[in-house]
Amino acid sequence: MTGPSPPASAPGGPAVLLRASNVTKTFRADGGPVSAVRGVDLTLRAGEFAAIMGPSGSGKSTLLHLLGGLERPTSGEIWLDGRRVDGLSQAKWAVLRRRHIGFVFQFFNLVSNMTVADNVELAALMGGASKRQAAERCAELLAELGLSDKAGAAPARLSGGEQQRVALARALANRPSLLLADEPTGNLDSSGSQSVLRLLTRAHAEGQAILLVTHDARVASAAERVISLFDGMVADDAALRAPHRPAAARAAKAVPAVLRLHG
Amino acid sequence: MRMPLLALLAKEPAHGYELKILLEQIFGEAYPSPNIGQIYVTLQRLERDGLVRSQDVVQRTRPNKRVYELTDAGREALAAWVDRPSEGPRIRDDFFMKLALSPLAGDTDRLALINRQRRDYLNQIRGLTTLAAQTGPGIARLLIEGALLHLQADLDWLERCQEELV
Amino acid sequence: MQATLRWIRADLRARRGQAVAVVAVVAGVVTALLLSAALLQGATNPWQGLFSATRGAHIWLRLAPGTETGVLRSAVHGVTAMAGPYQAASASVVRDDAKQPAELRAMGPHLPAIGRPLLESGHWLSWARPGGVVLESTYAQALHARVGSVLDLDNLDGIAVARVRVAGIAETSDQGFYPDQAPGLIWVLPGVLHQVEPRGDTYEVVGLQIASPAGTAPVIQQAVTQLGTSAVEDVSTWQQVKQSMARRDPLLGLVLALFGLVALGAAVLAIINATGGRVLVQRADLGMLQTLGFTPGQVMTMLVAEHGALGVAGLAAGLVAARLLAPGLLGQVPGVSAGAATLPLGWSLLILGGIEVAVLLATAVPGWRAARVWPVAAVRPVPPQGHLSRLARAAMASRLPPAIVLGTRAAFVRRLPALLTIGGLAVPMIMITIGLGFWSTLDEVQHNPADIGLAAGLTVNRGTMSDAQSSQLISRAPGVAAVYRSVQVTALLPGESTTVTTLGEGTSAHPYPFRVVQGRLYRAPEEAVATQGLLDVLGVHVGELVQMPFGGVLVTFRIVGRIIDPQYDGQVLAYGRDTLADEGAAAPPFAYSLILRNGASPAVTQEWLQRHSGGRLQVTQTVNPADQLGVVRYMIAGVILVLALIGLTNLMTASLVGIRDHLRDVRVLRAMGLTPAQVIASLVARTSVLALVAVAIGVSLGLAACTGLINLAARLYGLGAGIGALPGGLTLAIAIIIAVLMAGLTAVVPARAYGQVPAAGVLGA
Repeated sequence: MTGPSPPASAPGGPAVLLRASNVTKTFRADGGPVSAVRGVDLTLRAGEFAAIMGPSGSGKSTLLHLLGGLERPTSGEIWLDGRRVDGLSQAKWAVLRRRHIGFVFQFFNLVSNMTVADNVELAALMGGASKRQAAERCAELLAELGLSDKAGAAPARLSGGEQQRVALARALANRPSLLLADEPTGNLDSSGSQSVLRLLTRAHAEGQAILLVTHDARVASAAERVISLFDGMVADDAALRAPHRPAAARAAKAVPAVLRLHG
Repeated sequence: MRMPLLALLAKEPAHGYELKILLEQIFGEAYPSPNIGQIYVTLQRLERDGLVRSQDVVQRTRPNKRVYELTDAGREALAAWVDRPSEGPRIRDDFFMKLALSPLAGDTDRLALINRQRRDYLNQIRGLTTLAAQTGPGIARLLIEGALLHLQADLDWLERCQEELV
Repeated sequence: MQATLRWIRADLRARRGQAVAVVAVVAGVVTALLLSAALLQGATNPWQGLFSATRGAHIWLRLAPGTETGVLRSAVHGVTAMAGPYQAASASVVRDDAKQPAELRAMGPHLPAIGRPLLESGHWLSWARPGGVVLESTYAQALHARVGSVLDLDNLDGIAVARVRVAGIAETSDQGFYPDQAPGLIWVLPGVLHQVEPRGDTYEVVGLQIASPAGTAPVIQQAVTQLGTSAVEDVSTWQQVKQSMARRDPLLGLVLALFGLVALGAAVLAIINATGGRVLVQRADLGMLQTLGFTPGQVMTMLVAEHGALGVAGLAAGLVAARLLAPGLLGQVPGVSAGAATLPLGWSLLILGGIEVAVLLATAVPGWRAARVWPVAAVRPVPPQGHLSRLARAAMASRLPPAIVLGTRAAFVRRLPALLTIGGLAVPMIMITIGLGFWSTLDEVQHNPADIGLAAGLTVNRGTMSDAQSSQLISRAPGVAAVYRSVQVTALLPGESTTVTTLGEGTSAHPYPFRVVQGRLYRAPEEAVATQGLLDVLGVHVGELVQMPFGGVLVTFRIVGRIIDPQYDGQVLAYGRDTLADEGAAAPPFAYSLILRNGASPAVTQEWLQRHSGGRLQVTQTVNPADQLGVVRYMIAGVILVLALIGLTNLMTASLVGIRDHLRDVRVLRAMGLTPAQVIASLVARTSVLALVAVAIGVSLGLAACTGLINLAARLYGLGAGIGALPGGLTLAIAIIIAVLMAGLTAVVPARAYGQVPAAGVLGA
């Protein structure tokens, strides 16, 4: 197998936000050690939107958890904002996450006994906002996501798509430098997926760096860069072409054979 | 191109340019816009085969235009096309031929081949996804969604190839 | 900090029921413990409570009249405060043909700052009631006097000089209890003192509070030096008072303290279960909080703060409840005075602090375990469990309702929680069983007083009437079934300074129907029966010989049986009256013990006899200790309530934790076609099976311990073994059914929520 392709952004572009080098993770399982991540090198620049794709069991979720400090790598280095973080304690990671990393999960993981607004405000408060600032930020985010009327509701009363939008608001509450999204559409129907994807694209347009794990090519194609993970290793790292408008001409060239009408 | 033209003419007689406009309207931007010359050539062949007939209509300010209409034989051919099942899965796939046969030609990196194809598929998906967002519901968007689903299947298939061959 | 508060608020709001349960358990335990400890204190060391409640003096001096006491404050080193000097005189109160010695102590209408009598009932001295006196509480008991009683005071010459009315009854730590310490204390206005002792044959008493309570000796030495040896007639120290008050009636205190201690154990178990279970259930949320930036330390702090606050709320509620209940409950327990049952501050703080520490530890341990796990464990999606255990499969195939089999299996999947649940329910159940045993023993004693040796409902003293007249009258009285003549002789124990009561009841040929629990009744002269208390004092066993001096005549008895008799401090020797005559001992005037017919009212017979004798017969009703112990029933009921609450909390925790674990199988089973009703049934079965095991264990151990404990208690009381009764079958059955039903109900509510989720939802969750 060849090594990964060079990162999409040219040297001298925006500053490097996240760098992983030779990161591995080995789990102890019943049948002996299992390697989930086997030497991943990865660089993400500020404002970049990258997707990690791969078949299930390729280690993509584990990689994301390692990069967010939800578990400790077996070996390798992780640098965030120019600071080495792979050896940080659980507590130091927690403090780092408050301002620098937002997380979105497949199963939303909203705190079940708090209201929608409380979930979002809790994150803002963790980030050091005052009570008033937190309330304002929460109102602003919920309005943006079209969930203002659900502020007082319990998470369980919301649809999956709505819950994920709340989770997204919570993750973005502190304007983190990096948003980590683990299969954010994995548990949603197509309209729910669409709305979450649109929000991610919009956040990116506003300069948010996003690293997204998915097995869905359509979700991945929303990113400007797709990293293919295979068997715990990076198989490919590809920049995608920016789509243009009007798209007709470009799209016509891109139309695969299947689309042509027989005749 | 033969059958779509017959189908369009089944509704009412039309001339070549009208047929081009109709095709674009129905299938939208994703559909490769047909060349007008190609349409005329196809119409001439259909007339030669007795499936359509034509007559010139005199226009005062412009040159005469040729209007085509369906013959009974044409109607039968159209019915037969609709009744016939369409071609199934793609067995003759160009990329797969490359993947399978390129080692015969010598030093070929199959992973590079797969990666290149994947990037191409991803770019196509990205383009089509953008297009789908701009297309209202109807025939045209169904066409795009069909293409997207096929592309996803192609990507999955690439993963299988990678697992098996690399 | 803000975020922590926000989370705690939301959590408390979302789990109100659980929070209330934790507060209630803590409050119940605090109440039970405070009351039990106060009772124990009052029963075993009444001096402590009385001393602090009366702000007692450490040293009391009895001085010659006219001694100048000012030097005590000015010249004696270590004296911090002084009570008195009070003028006092010796006197006696005539009551029931007997004289009871008294000390009259003159005080004003204002209670003093130290050595302050603690009013139990009535009022303190007042100029408005010049003939009103206040009696020391144990002295009042000995005199059978209550507020409003009229007493005749004799002076030392034996001349009746004053008639006074009891205005109040008060407790004091100035001297020991009457009659252990005589004379009894009567507080009077100076006018009464002069009336009794007009010649001024009085003395002075003065109390000293000293800086270092242990150092009484040097202070006394100095005082004697300063005042002169001739001025100091007597000295008593707080150590002497404390010793003389010790161990009056420890039975109740011990029993209730035992209950309190076990309740504490059960409560700690309940608190560990409740808080630990809460933490276990919310592990996913705790993990999510960590991804939001909570450090493990913060997560733990948050949990500890939340439960600590609940604990404090419980402590406050318990403290208030104990304060409200104490006067009503403690004051009514015989042998324990409200003043004596005052818990020293240190004890209260120890109990409150101990419980709060238990709450904090019970939270911190599971909290820390939950917080230490890297958060990924909480956020990693759990795929629907595809495996179905062999037993579950067998259950599906068998004819038994699958829900029941599954629930039973699930109950024991996780050993430790199962054991905690069983223990958490079994311990309260043991105590409830024992409590019910005490209850039925009380019932038994109350309805069949003969069982504890109180066959006679009435005792008649003939006073000035002749035997013939009296017997004739008694034989005509309504409700009388049998009459025994009895004499009561006090004997000095050989080689000891204490006396015991002996009874000549009936004759050897016609003995009084004592309740014999070992051996047999006396049938011949010189045979006797004794209570356990007496056997213990004499150090003899049934079958052995004892010698008793009766006014110079030494009588030898063979003890042929052990009886139960709760009177006379449980120390009684009984024999036929003929023995005394045979031995030539002087026989005192006899009284009549009247055994009434079943259902006859003692009050009616008493009234009839008094009326027809023109008031010359003194008729007294036998006091049944069970009637006095009525308050114990409230306490038993209260303790059972607390225990039930503890059990309920444990069950709620077990249900919640159980459902979480059980969901794995339920997901698959719902998909395979288990109906919502069956899912609920399996969850209910899971908790109910644990409850059944716990109840079975608890009731068996409780029954085993019950008789033993009651006999132990009775033995301490001097009764000896033999009165313990087991709780009735019906009572026990009801308790068991309630326990198991409660278990089922606690499971139904949360189970319904899960049971009705559609199969797809269950799989997706």
